[in-house]
Amino acid sequence: MSSTADIAFLLLIFFLVTTVFPKDKGLSIVLPEESSEVQVSQKNILHLIIQPTGIVDVKRGESQQVQQMRPSEIEGLWRQEVANNDGLIAAVKTHPDAAYRFMVDVLDALHAANAERISLQVLEN
Amino acid sequence: MSMKGGFKRKSKASEEIPSSSLADIAFLLLIFFMVTTVFPNDQERPIDWTEASAAQKIDEKSKNILNIWVERDGSVYMNDQQFQMEEVSQYIAPRYAQSDRALVISIRGDREVPYRIIDQLQDELVAAGVVRVVFAAQLEQQMQRARR
Repeated sequence: MSSTADIAFLLLIFFLVTTVFPKDKGLSIVLPEESSEVQVSQKNILHLIIQPTGIVDVKRGESQQVQQMRPSEIEGLWRQEVANNDGLIAAVKTHPDAAYRFMVDVLDALHAANAERISLQVLEN
Repeated sequence: MSMKGGFKRKSKASEEIPSSSLADIAFLLLIFFMVTTVFPNDQERPIDWTEASAAQKIDEKSKNILNIWVERDGSVYMNDQQFQMEEVSQYIAPRYAQSDRALVISIRGDREVPYRIIDQLQDELVAAGVVRVVFAAQLEQQMQRARR
């Protein structure tokens, strides 16, 4: 009976050493099903074009006007834009040479602003 | 020096640390670690994590999470094995069907990897029919964010 505590300690040390707390955290998205193209009116699209430098070019639907922003400013922009148009879709177009983290920064900002309709694309010339 | 009453009264408390409860504490800790331990499915790859302040915990059992590691040079690893980009959908599709469409893909990409690679990976996942994808990131503190 006196060895029970020893066994418990042994097991305790085993679990202490082997435990790895999982860090399963991230930004979740839902990918579209294959070959499901949806036509969306241009006025409901907010284009966010991520350049290789990390600067984001913002274009609203049909207008040719381009506004340059940092990823951290997207959150405020989205809240403002969605207040005017609640069917808005964020089209995130990343330059193929841009670092992955810039896309994550923009996606992070959109998640922080509770955006739900997000489309991830690669920028084509 | 003569002792006056009231000073240096002998305490009734024992001078020894009670050791009979030690085993109970050990058991308690043991049960805690047994319950919380999750044995990882795969080894970690050396990547620089991306950071995100809105990162949330993945709402799925860990056996239904498949990690795809993308290293800085663009090499892809799943379950400790290296894969070519074209092989990814063939590897995932049967596992996705087996999991009853519950499988969640966790993309663990290096922060500096070109987006081209991540886009190809997404195309592979769409081809495999996967819909639930998480861009794994470490939780960024609001303080750090403000400084940027």
